[in-house]
Amino acid sequence: MEIARARPWLGTLVEMRVDGLAEARAITAIEAAFAEVAAVHRLMSFHDAASDLSRLHRARVGAVVHVDARTWAVLDAACALAEESDGRFDPTIAPHLVERGLLPMPAASRGSASASWRDIELLPRRRVRLRERAWIDLGGIAKGHAVDRALACLRAAGAATASVNAGGDLARYGIEPERIALRHGDAGDAPVIELGDAAVATSVVATRARAAHVNPRSGRALRARRAVSVLAANCMIADALTKVVLADTRIGERILRRHRATACLRDGERRWRILGAA
Amino acid sequence: MTRPVRSRWILPLGLVAVPAFHAAWATQYLSVAEAQRAMFADADAFHVLPPVDAALATELGGAGWSPQVFEAGKGGARLGWFIVDRVIGKTELITYALALDATGAVKAIEILDYRETHGSEVRLAAWRKQFVGKTAHDAVELDRDIKGISGATLSTRHVTEGVHRLLQLHERALRVAG
Repeated sequence: MEIARARPWLGTLVEMRVDGLAEARAITAIEAAFAEVAAVHRLMSFHDAASDLSRLHRARVGAVVHVDARTWAVLDAACALAEESDGRFDPTIAPHLVERGLLPMPAASRGSASASWRDIELLPRRRVRLRERAWIDLGGIAKGHAVDRALACLRAAGAATASVNAGGDLARYGIEPERIALRHGDAGDAPVIELGDAAVATSVVATRARAAHVNPRSGRALRARRAVSVLAANCMIADALTKVVLADTRIGERILRRHRATACLRDGERRWRILGAA
Repeated sequence: MTRPVRSRWILPLGLVAVPAFHAAWATQYLSVAEAQRAMFADADAFHVLPPVDAALATELGGAGWSPQVFEAGKGGARLGWFIVDRVIGKTELITYALALDATGAVKAIEILDYRETHGSEVRLAAWRKQFVGKTAHDAVELDRDIKGISGATLSTRHVTEGVHRLLQLHERALRVAG
C-alpha cells in the first residue's frame, strides 16, 4: 500500500510517497525523511538568522566560520558548478534578488553585488571563509539536495518504490517508471517524463517583471516565457542545471553532457527542444 | 545490483496550439480522522469545539472563515488542539491540519488535501489528444497515470499565513477558554 504525506517546507509543498513497506515502517521512514528536509531548511535558509548562511553573512570578511557538513557539501557543489559553468550558476547573486524584492533584506549583514562564487573559500573540516562581503543564496540548489537526502532515507528504510517532490523538484526510484507531467508556465502542450531511478527539476521564467531568474553574469533578468526541465541522476544537479540552461543554452548543453543529464527546453516561441546527453 | 529503471521524455506531437491549461491535479493525503491519529497518537478523544466567534473570525480570517477546532484529550486531560483549515492560493486550494500542544506550541502540520482550482475537461481532452500514438498506453490512461508534477515552484506562503492566523486564534480564543 502506498503511503503519502505532504508538509510545507522550503517555502513549498514537500510530498513523499512510499510503497512496499508496512504502514508503521513507512511512516517512520517518512518522519526521518522529513527531518532531513527540515534540517536543510534550517541550515540553508537565507533569511533565518540562525542558519549557517546567516552566520556566514554576519561574520567579518576573512573570518573562518564552522558550518554543518551538509551546508559545506552544498556550498562545495554550488561552487564547483559555478566554476564549470563560468558563473552561469552563481550562489552569490542574492544582492540582485534582494534589490528586486525577490529575497528579503537580511537585517544584520550587507551583501556586495560585485562578489562572486570565487569569494567563497571552502576549507577542510567544514570551515568556510568569505573573501568579500557576499550574500549566499542556495535557493537554486539546496531544495534539490533536501530531496536527495530525503529519498536516501526512504531507500535506506527499504521501500520498494519511493518519491520525494519539493514543489516540482522531484526524485524517485522504483520497480516501474512513473509519469510526471511537466508544467512550463501556461503552456498547454507540456511534455511528460517517464521517470525511472532519477530526478527532474523545472524552472520557469515568469512573464511578469518580478521574474525570479537573473543572469548571474549581467545581473539582468532572464528573457521571459522560457522554461526548462532537467533530468539527472540526482535532484541537486537537476535543480542547479535548470538555472545554467536558462542562463546560457550553449554552456548548459555542455554541462548537461558532462553530468549525463538531459533537458527539455521551451523557448519563447513555445518550441520544445531536448538538450544534453543522448 | 539490479539495473536502474530508465527514464525518457514524452514530447507532445507537433506544435498544436492548445489554450492555456492545467490538468486539474488533486491529491488527498490524510482524512481528518487519520490526521488526528497521526498527530495525536496518544489521544483517546477529540472534542469538537463550538465555531469561532463570528466577529473574531472575520477579524482574523475575513468573512466566512471557519476553521474546525478540536480539543485532543486523554483520560480527561487536555493534550492540545487539532485544527483543520483551508487556504486558497492563486491556483490551488489546500486543506491542512495544525496540531498545537497543551502550551499552544506548534506540534505538527500536515497537508490533508491539495487540489488545483484550474483546468477544464475540454482542455484536458485537447491535451490528451497530443499524446495519441506516442506511448504504449492509450491517451486516456496517460493523465490517469500521472504520478506527479514538476513545474514552477508552488509557494506555501498561504499555508504559513494560515498557521499564523490559527496561532492568533489560539492566543485570543482557545488558550483563555481552556
